[in-house]
Amino acid sequence: MILKHTYLLLFGWMVLLSVPSYGNNGTIELITKTTEFEAGQAITLKFSNTDNATPSLYVSNSYGATLIKPEKDSGILNYLIPQSISNKTGVVHWKLLANNSLSGAFSVISKQKATSIETYLGPPSIQAGGTDYSMLVVIPTDYLDNPLADSTKVIVKHQFLDNQNKEVVLMNHRIAYKNIYSEPKTGRILVSSECLEFNSKEYTVNVLPAIPTDFDISYSRNHDYADGNQITTFSTSIIKDQYGNLVSDGTYVDFFITNRSNHILKTSGTTINGIAYAKMIHPDHEDQWSVKAFIEGMAESKPIQLAYKAIISDFNVQFSENSRTVTIGPLQSFMHQMVPDGLEVSLSVFQNDIKLKTLTKSAFEGYATFKLDTNNFPSDNYTLKIETAGVQKTYTNVKL
Amino acid sequence: MTGINKNILRSVLVLSYIAIIALVLFGIGSLYSYLNTGADRSTMLHTEIKKIDQYLPKLEWAPLNNEGRPMDEQTLNALQNDYLDAWYVQHVAYKTNTLAGIEDYYTESARENISALVAENKPKHIAIEGTTLEHHLTLDFFSEDGQLAVVTDKNVIEFKRVFENDTLLLETTEQSTYKIIFLLEDGFWRIRHKIKEVSKAYKTKFGPANTEVTEIKGINYYPQASPWDMYGDKFDASIIAKDFKIIKDAGLNSIRIFVPYEDFGKANVKAEKLTKLKTVLDLAEAENLKVVITLFDFYGDYSVLNWTLNQHHAKTIVKAVKDYPALLAWDIKNEPNLDFKSRTKALVLAWLDNMIALVKSTDTKHPVTIGWSNAESATILKDELDFISFHYYEDLEDLEDTYKNLKLEITNKPIAITEFGMSSNRGLWHPFGNSEDDQAAYYKQAQALFKSYHMPFMSWTLYDFTKIPKEVVGRLPWRKQTQEHFGFINQNGETKPAFKYISKE
Repeated sequence: MILKHTYLLLFGWMVLLSVPSYGNNGTIELITKTTEFEAGQAITLKFSNTDNATPSLYVSNSYGATLIKPEKDSGILNYLIPQSISNKTGVVHWKLLANNSLSGAFSVISKQKATSIETYLGPPSIQAGGTDYSMLVVIPTDYLDNPLADSTKVIVKHQFLDNQNKEVVLMNHRIAYKNIYSEPKTGRILVSSECLEFNSKEYTVNVLPAIPTDFDISYSRNHDYADGNQITTFSTSIIKDQYGNLVSDGTYVDFFITNRSNHILKTSGTTINGIAYAKMIHPDHEDQWSVKAFIEGMAESKPIQLAYKAIISDFNVQFSENSRTVTIGPLQSFMHQMVPDGLEVSLSVFQNDIKLKTLTKSAFEGYATFKLDTNNFPSDNYTLKIETAGVQKTYTNVKL
Repeated sequence: MTGINKNILRSVLVLSYIAIIALVLFGIGSLYSYLNTGADRSTMLHTEIKKIDQYLPKLEWAPLNNEGRPMDEQTLNALQNDYLDAWYVQHVAYKTNTLAGIEDYYTESARENISALVAENKPKHIAIEGTTLEHHLTLDFFSEDGQLAVVTDKNVIEFKRVFENDTLLLETTEQSTYKIIFLLEDGFWRIRHKIKEVSKAYKTKFGPANTEVTEIKGINYYPQASPWDMYGDKFDASIIAKDFKIIKDAGLNSIRIFVPYEDFGKANVKAEKLTKLKTVLDLAEAENLKVVITLFDFYGDYSVLNWTLNQHHAKTIVKAVKDYPALLAWDIKNEPNLDFKSRTKALVLAWLDNMIALVKSTDTKHPVTIGWSNAESATILKDELDFISFHYYEDLEDLEDTYKNLKLEITNKPIAITEFGMSSNRGLWHPFGNSEDDQAAYYKQAQALFKSYHMPFMSWTLYDFTKIPKEVVGRLPWRKQTQEHFGFINQNGETKPAFKYISKE
C-alpha cells in the first residue's frame, strides 16, 4: 500500500515536472511563442516580468554561446538575439539566469533561397567505358552561408557529346550528390546543378581512354647491315582501348630486344596519337634480334624478328717495328667503303694461354693501330687475338 | 744508503710525473668528449612525432554504413583527430576570446561564425569554459574523391561554465546532436558547416550501486618502505602480502589505497602500474580483504579543458579493475574540499559531480564515495554518492555528536570514517606531543565509540614511516615528524601499544 502511494506520488511529481518550466512560474514568463525563425530574421525573446530583475539570457547555438542583457520595456524584458546567433541555422538553446532557471529552445531554419551552390566534383578525370564515375557533391546555401534544408530539390545536369541529362536529387545530410558515369567515348562531360532556380557554374570531367589493348609493332631501318652506326626505329601500331579510343598521349611503351646471345637491350618511347616510337643503334656484328613491346601491366605486342648482316668478312693485319705496331685495316664495309669511324677493334694479348691484356681502339678512317710497348710486354713470344665486327683473327707465337 | 734513497726519489719523481701526465690527458680527453657530445644525429631534423593527448572525451563510432565511398580506418582516424582538435581549439577560443588554432580546423567561411561570437563576447568580458564529455559519431557520407565527409555526432554531452567579468554566472550541461560537414583542406579535415539539430539540458541520473558497503573495519594502507609511492620501483608483492596478513590477523576486513594520478601516467594509464594495482587487489583477495580505491591522488587541477583527460584516466582504471572480487568501493578523490579555496568550490564540485557520473557509468556495481577531510563537508553531494565518508582527526569527545548530527542529515546512506588516527609524535619537535600510550588510549576510546554506534571505520595507518615525500605535508620537519608516527607498527617493525586496539574486540 505504501509502495503504491509512493508510486502515485512519484508519478504525480513527474507529471508536474514534464509541464514546461515556464508554466508554473509567477514572476517571469516567456511571451514569445514562436519557436522557429528564418535565418537573418531579427529574433527577440520577450518575457513578462513583474519584479525589477533584469537577468541575462544565456543562448547557445551550433557554433558557440553568449549572454544577452535585456532591454526593459514597460514590464517586458526584450532579449534581442545577436546576429552571430540568429544568422546560423540550428537549434538555439536558451536559459534565463534568474532564480527559477527558465529554459527552452527555438530553432533557426535556413532561408529557402539558394544564393550559392558550393560544388565539389571529383575525381576530375575518369575512364571511358561506363563503369568509372565521378561524384558531384553540392551544398546549396542561403545568403548567410547556411546549407538549405534536407529534401530540397537539386537538379543535376550534365552533357556529353549528343546526350544531355537532367536529374532531380533530394538533399540529404545537408548535401546533394550524384554519380556521373562515363560513356564508351573519351571527351569532356560538362556538369552543372540547379537549386531553387539558382544555377551553378559549369564544371568539367575529363573522360580518358580506358586501358590499352594489345598492339603490333614494326620497324624501319636504312639497311640491314650490322654497322654499329645506323639506327633502327621501332614503332607501334595505333594503340587503342577496348572502346576504340586512342590511348592518352604519353603512354609509355617499353621495347625489349633479345639478341642472339640472349642479352636484353631496352628502349622506350611514349605515344603520340596512339603511336610510340623508339630507336636503337644497329649492332656492330652479325646478329638476330627478337623484339617485343610492353605497356607495363596493361598490354603487349607480338614479338618481331630482325636480322643484321655482317659488314666485314675479313681484314688485313700488318706488323711493323718488331711487331710492336699492329695496324688493322683497311676495314671495308658492304660497298667496300671504309667503315664509319668508331667501329670497335680489340686486340687481346695472351701468353701461355693466359690473357695478359685486352686493348681496344676505335677505327679511324678505316684503320686501327695498336702499339705494344716494352714496359707492358717485354720481349717474348705472345699470341695476339684481333677482333672486329664479329670477325676474329689469331696470330700465335708473335715475337715481340 | 744514499744511492737507494736517490733511486727511490727518482722513481717517485718519474711515477708522479707519469701520474700527472695521465691526469692531464684524462682531463683533456674528458673535456674533448664532453664537447663532442650533443644531440643525437637522428634528432637533427626534428622528425620525431610529439603527440600530446590534450582532448580525450568518450567517443564511439557507429558501425560504418555510409553513402558514397567506403571509409578506411586511417582516414577515419585522421577525421576523428581533427574533429576533436576542432572542439579543443573552439573551447580555447571561447575561454580566452582569441582565435588561435581556429584556422586549422575550420574552413575560411566557418571560421567567421566563431570569430563573430568571440567578437560578441570579448567586449562584454564573457568567457566560456567548456568541454565535451561524450561523442557518438555516425559517418553519413564520404565523397568519392575522399575530400568531403558528413558526420552526425549524436548526444554530445557539453559542459560549460559561463563567466562574466570573471564571475561564474552559469554552469550548464547540454546534450546536443550535431550535423557536421568536413572538407579535407591542406591535410586537415576542416569543419565547413556545423548545425546543431537537437539540444536539451542534460542531467545524469544514476541509480544506487548494486552492492552496498557493509561493516567496514579497515585501515589505510601504504607499505612501510614506500609510503605515497606504492607502485614505484620499490613495489614488492611479498611485502604487501605479508602486510595484508598482518591486517587480516589483526581482525580487520578492508583497506583503503590510493591511485596517484600522475604516477599512473595521467590520461595514458601505464600498463605496468595497472598490473601492480591488480596484483594488490589479488593479494587482498587472497587474505579476504576488501579494498577501497581512492582515485586522483596528488591531483589538483580540475580545469574544465582537462576533464576529458581525467575522465579517460578514471575510465581506464575503473574498467580494468571493476570485476576484481576484492574491490569494495570507489573513493573519487581524497579530501577534495581542501581545494575549495584555491580552485573555487563550484569548479571542484562540478568536477566531482561529473567524475561520479563517469565512474558510475563505467562501474554500476561498486558504491562510490568521496573522502571528505572533515565532517562538515560530509553532506556535500550526498545525493550523488552511495555512501558518505569523511576523515576525523579532531577530538574524539566530539565524535559522538558529530556522528549523530550527520546521521540526522543523511538518513538513508551508510556513513564511514575512512581516516582517523593519532600520531605518537612525542620527540625533538614535539616535546609535549602524544606518547605511544596516548595513542593506544585514543584508539581504545575510538573503538569503543565505533562499537556502540556501529560506525564503519578505517584508521590511519598501519606503519610508522621513515620518509615522508614533501608533496604530502611539505618540508617542515615538525610536520613530517608527526606524519611519520601515525602507525600501529613502529619504524623498527615492532607493534606499538595501540596495535591492541586496531580493531573492535
